[in-house]
Amino acid sequence: MKKLLFFTFLMLFGWIAQAQDRIVTGTVTASEDGAPIPGVTVVVKGSNTGTNTDAKGTYRLTLPANGTTLVFSAVGFGRKEEEINGRTTIDVVLQSSVESLNEVVVTAQGIERDTRSLGYATQNVNGSALAQRSEPNVLNTLQGKVAGVNITSSSGAPGASTNINIRGITSFNGSNQPLVVVDGIIFNNDVDNSQNTLFGSQPSSRLADISPESIESINVLKGPAASVLYGSRASAGVIVITTKSGKGLNGKTEVTFNSSVNWQNVAYLPKLQNQYGQGTQNNYVNNSTNSWGPAFGTPGFETVQNFRGETVPYRAYPNNIRDFYKTGTMFQNALNIAGGDQNNNFAATISSTIQNGVVRESDFDRHSVQVGGNSKLKNGIKLGGTITYVKSAQKNTLMGNGGSAFGQITRIPRSYDLVNTPYLDPLTGEDFYFVNGQNHPLWSIQNTFFNSNVDRVFGNLSVGYDITNWLNVSYRVTADTYTDNRKQIQRVGAARAPQGQIDEDLRFRSELNGDLLINAKKNDLFVQGLNANLLLGQNLNQRSYRESGVISESLAIPGFDNVGVGSVFTKSYASTNRRRLVGHYGQLSLDYKSYLFLELSGRVDQSSTLPKEQNAYFYPSAALSFVPLEAFNVKTEAVSYLKVRGNIARVGRDADPYRLQSFFTSATFGNNVADITFPLNVGGTSLPGFQPDGRIGSTNLKPEFVNSFEVGLNVGFFNNRLGVDFTYFNTRSTSQIFNVAISNSSGYDTRTTNIGEMQNKGIELQLSATPIRTSSFKWDVLLNFTRIRNKVVAISEGVNNSNITGDSFSGIAPSIAVGYPYGVIIGTANARTESGELLVNPNTGLFVPGIAGQVISNPQKDWVAGLTNNFSYKGFTLSALVDVNKGGQLYSFSQVDMRNAGQTEITGVDRNQPRILPGVILNADGTTRPNNIQISAQSYWQSLGGLASQGAVFDATAYRLREVALNYALPSSLLSRTPFGNISIGVSGRNLWMYAPGFPSDPEINTQGAGNIQGLDLNGIPTTRNYGVNLRVTF
Amino acid sequence: MACSVVALSSCSDYLDINQNPNNPITVPPATLLPSGLAGSAFSNANDLNRFASVIMSVTAGANGSPVTWDRYNTDGSDFGNQWRFEIYGGALINYQKLIEVAQTSNSNAYVGIAKIMKAYTFSIATDVWGDVPYSQALQGDANTQPRLDTQKEIYLGDNAKGIQSLFDLVKEGLADLEKTSSTTPGSDDIVYGGTIENWKKAGNTLLLKLALQISSVEPAKAKSIIDEVIQGNDFITTNAQNLAVNFGSQVGSQSPIYTYTYNSSFSTDQLISTRFVTLLQGLKDPRLPLFVTRPTGNYVTIDNGFAGTPPQAANRSMFSSYVTGENGEGPVRLITNWQRAFILAESAIRLGTAGDAQKLYEEGIRTSMASAGISDADISAYFTANPTVVTLAGSNEEKIKQIITQKYISLYGNGLEQWNDWRRTGYPTLAQHQNAVGVDGTRPVRARYIDQEIARNPNFPNNILQNVRVWWDVN
Repeated sequence: MKKLLFFTFLMLFGWIAQAQDRIVTGTVTASEDGAPIPGVTVVVKGSNTGTNTDAKGTYRLTLPANGTTLVFSAVGFGRKEEEINGRTTIDVVLQSSVESLNEVVVTAQGIERDTRSLGYATQNVNGSALAQRSEPNVLNTLQGKVAGVNITSSSGAPGASTNINIRGITSFNGSNQPLVVVDGIIFNNDVDNSQNTLFGSQPSSRLADISPESIESINVLKGPAASVLYGSRASAGVIVITTKSGKGLNGKTEVTFNSSVNWQNVAYLPKLQNQYGQGTQNNYVNNSTNSWGPAFGTPGFETVQNFRGETVPYRAYPNNIRDFYKTGTMFQNALNIAGGDQNNNFAATISSTIQNGVVRESDFDRHSVQVGGNSKLKNGIKLGGTITYVKSAQKNTLMGNGGSAFGQITRIPRSYDLVNTPYLDPLTGEDFYFVNGQNHPLWSIQNTFFNSNVDRVFGNLSVGYDITNWLNVSYRVTADTYTDNRKQIQRVGAARAPQGQIDEDLRFRSELNGDLLINAKKNDLFVQGLNANLLLGQNLNQRSYRESGVISESLAIPGFDNVGVGSVFTKSYASTNRRRLVGHYGQLSLDYKSYLFLELSGRVDQSSTLPKEQNAYFYPSAALSFVPLEAFNVKTEAVSYLKVRGNIARVGRDADPYRLQSFFTSATFGNNVADITFPLNVGGTSLPGFQPDGRIGSTNLKPEFVNSFEVGLNVGFFNNRLGVDFTYFNTRSTSQIFNVAISNSSGYDTRTTNIGEMQNKGIELQLSATPIRTSSFKWDVLLNFTRIRNKVVAISEGVNNSNITGDSFSGIAPSIAVGYPYGVIIGTANARTESGELLVNPNTGLFVPGIAGQVISNPQKDWVAGLTNNFSYKGFTLSALVDVNKGGQLYSFSQVDMRNAGQTEITGVDRNQPRILPGVILNADGTTRPNNIQISAQSYWQSLGGLASQGAVFDATAYRLREVALNYALPSSLLSRTPFGNISIGVSGRNLWMYAPGFPSDPEINTQGAGNIQGLDLNGIPTTRNYGVNLRVTF
Repeated sequence: MACSVVALSSCSDYLDINQNPNNPITVPPATLLPSGLAGSAFSNANDLNRFASVIMSVTAGANGSPVTWDRYNTDGSDFGNQWRFEIYGGALINYQKLIEVAQTSNSNAYVGIAKIMKAYTFSIATDVWGDVPYSQALQGDANTQPRLDTQKEIYLGDNAKGIQSLFDLVKEGLADLEKTSSTTPGSDDIVYGGTIENWKKAGNTLLLKLALQISSVEPAKAKSIIDEVIQGNDFITTNAQNLAVNFGSQVGSQSPIYTYTYNSSFSTDQLISTRFVTLLQGLKDPRLPLFVTRPTGNYVTIDNGFAGTPPQAANRSMFSSYVTGENGEGPVRLITNWQRAFILAESAIRLGTAGDAQKLYEEGIRTSMASAGISDADISAYFTANPTVVTLAGSNEEKIKQIITQKYISLYGNGLEQWNDWRRTGYPTLAQHQNAVGVDGTRPVRARYIDQEIARNPNFPNNILQNVRVWWDVN
């Protein structure tokens, strides 16, 4: 669609131009390789006369009488001005933009804009920085490359979801993931966690359906001012993705083939001790999960009897955990055919990703077909459209602290030969394992798993027409729809479902959008040099979601994974969820002599999810951009560019569907100890049973709002070889629609209401530099820095904290708490004296019981930075990204497990020495004395804290070599006699090096996946290190 | 996309789609009763029973939480699910809604049952936690931070503060059962299958239980209630009249005790304690083999607080089908005939209420044994062979000790009532567990308030540990 709009603008420019006799022609080439650049916009400065270059990079323009200067701009290239000075041929060399000082980017509703006119921060990432990076997930490839953005992948499992927040968290309860727009299509990126996130799989966030290789560019719209035209849903920012197309090939047909193979290994497992084996209190215990047994080599312990009565050697198996993992592989292939010209073009892409993860039997496959094209009909109507079909399949084992492979892998004694000890009972198909009631991890990954099969179709169709030379009307329809056929299997013998369980779950999601866009343009409005553009739009939106499923248990045919083999159907369900929205919006853009820009926007939304009588809400924004050097006509060598900008904006947001009423729900009771689900089968009669839902509705909900202001500065030094882009922003989120936790003795768990206030203050800094640039060698540096301070200012009267909606363990509650950042963990803190010393029990030498209800962990990072270095020499390009996540805390079950079990390296140091816990003992008179009670190493390490304690909190700071890519493009001289246009080969690696001073493993783990609950490692899958080779051929 | 540019007037219809198609706003009484009853059964028999059975030395911890409890440790992260989703946000809010829904349709039978069961379930909350929200609880939006009523106020009521006593709540329910009812329960009543006469007996027997609970601290009040019930002569007198919740034999419909004993990853957490087996062996009690399983042919148990390697899961002695049902049917016995007999026996001695303590004591033992499946002849043989066991002797205190010891055995599988009696009377005499820690090495006499309530409701104190006695526990 945006291509169509783009052409529409071009046509407008063309038609407004008046007949003149002066004509300028020329060729635009790229500075790096001298190749012609098609599609460059060429405009006469101060007018709306313009054209664009063809496939050969040439243009021809008829000049108006007052034209003195030409402005050249193109996506991905710097902007350049040339004074005409009577010339009739003007050839121009454009540099690919080091940094977005002067470039054309795609903004809200697909509008292409020169960045100089923008009163807000956006950041553009070229597709070449995302492709061939040993990473199949688009969001992961963005890590470290965009300021103001926090990206955390949830684990190394294939297809696992990735959390992304732009400019912090702005909603207590709503999604804080940005809106994703792919080629104008609002693109669903939900996770749809089906099961309890404390125990289950890691489904994908659905942007996983897009391959990084298919992306032309990504523009990140950060603040409300940038995204206001997208309405309510863009309050968390927008990721605008443009896929590769045939645009700009003018007449030529190009075939591109990409292929890569990558390998994955498990990365950063913690260091473990190898001196002590299975047991407790220095005794060998053959069904213990501890490694507090006798030291290896202790006389009498050369061999021991294992849990099956076999005599086995008692020795360390240093790699018993590492050997649990395997080398994963990832094959990516894509074929793209594109061709046509400006008015009529097409593109078709076939791509395929096949990934086998580091955990056995885990994989992610993605196959897609895309076709699209644009055409201008003889009657002047412009048509464009794309359609894409994607088939994604994911298989992963289940996770969680009980009854999963990853709940056990942290409890394997150092003397247990995990991989080589036989575990399969050939008679029953069940497992032999030394822990009662649990499964051998290898058995678990083979017999408890989750499959997700997604069939997705998305596309758009747009029709546009120029009514007059200043008025254009277009309509665009977009659709995104998928089914996700999920199946969670726990075969007979599984710890959580000893008689087996199959959960068959079918999900359907669709989103339809209709957008009417009316664009009017007037130059020299009131005064010479004041150009105005008015955009009016209407948006109709419908989102539907359906889910139905059945759970069967007591499986009659072990190993035959069909829901029909269950003898008991414990649950069947069906639900539908639908919402609609009608939006009207307008945007007036004023441009005074290309140095002063003002943009006023407003939108009114009416939402089906709010009470009928108050379902409409309006929100405005204003953005100003000023380019003083241009205004005062000052040019210096040192400061080559300067822009100051600022904006103020407000975005409203509606509720989720069906939040207005309280209702009943089919009853269930119990927890993971024991549970029942109605209908209850008693004495052969099936009895339905209902109970009040735990949430109280509100018939008086109002929209929630995010108010923000932002100021920024763009400076270019030394002909823009050094660029600075600085932004300060401040957002205030108010009247949040939230399910406030209420006293359970009220009979309910939460109450939906408008409450609270939250603040985000932050700075974003981008530094870009080209320290060296010669004809054959170039070194570019790009630094991104983000620092965001989030604070929950208020919740509601008398409420100082409340749980975030989602699953949590008792005593480890992801929460909002007044005065703290969003998402802190509330749990049990160690008891301390008033001066902060830990209190020790005089009878035991252990810590006294902790105090519940305290903020013990804060997952929000202090700051995030990414440093990219690009070197290019002749055909070689080398790119390396180092990023830093400073601060933030991770709550880790895995590390507590390994510490308590005496596995981690530190627990093996001086184990036979008694220890004293740091702290004091309270005397009878209220004074204290230092703790002097000696305890064993086992007691010491175990008393540092169990799963639900402050001892599970770790600093998540990590320094990382995120990615390295080396590519070589064969010189064109070699290819001139071949059918090939380009051939490049490369190697790449990802997550190659990491240093985490406060955590024994990789802290980039987030077991509950993308969503508002962050900073928990509840026995998740570790991260991976990827590396591979790739090939790219065009002909 | 019915709403278009030219037809914006239809937008209000276009947007009128916010009625929840998945969940009803109101439901009939027959769908609230079974979920309420199952909720009460879970309140009694799920995690709180795991806890109470361990600290009452009936079971012993082999893994997980029961190991912690066995050492008298408990904290505010224990029983959050019970408080939130089984008691207040489970059974109690169900009964509250059932009362409201049933009253609008004059379904007085449902109203009466709901009030009786509401009183029973509130008694679990106050007996376990002491002072709890009661008069201001279950009001939803109207009071999101209810105050705590003292246990004394809950049992005795306080007109000035608008607190109805548990006794009056039960009596109100009994009065509702006397009224005509537009609809009556049938198979949705998973206790009595709709027999209202039995509900009346259950309500009166609940009055006996509640009265005895406060007999040490409010003997006069207890006596007047018990006298009144004896006078009315309509209480549980046969095993078939037990207030016992029936479950099903299929996964997802089974009694919680069955599930956590046989069909959950927590099934290896606990087994029967050596102490319980030793006690019954000492009494030559014929219920032992019927109560406790012997997969190996012998009793494979561990001592409470045991720190070594627990026996293989498959060999362990566990709750038998007497407690769990053959395939999980239960029932979960909340108030039983033998419990009534022991209550009246103790009351006769302690409060001087009507009835022959010795006969009631014998009746308690006999009906419990019969319930376990022992024939009348075998019971008589046991009585003949063990006169000292079945005969009350000595001082009143010694007799009460005898009664409660037999009551403790008969309450096998209902840890909460065993714990209630032990806290109230100190019987049976239980030895210290190995490796006991707790707050001060003593057995817990209450549960700590759950973390969520401390965080959500400032009325909850944050420093009451498990060694602080509740109001009726003065012994």
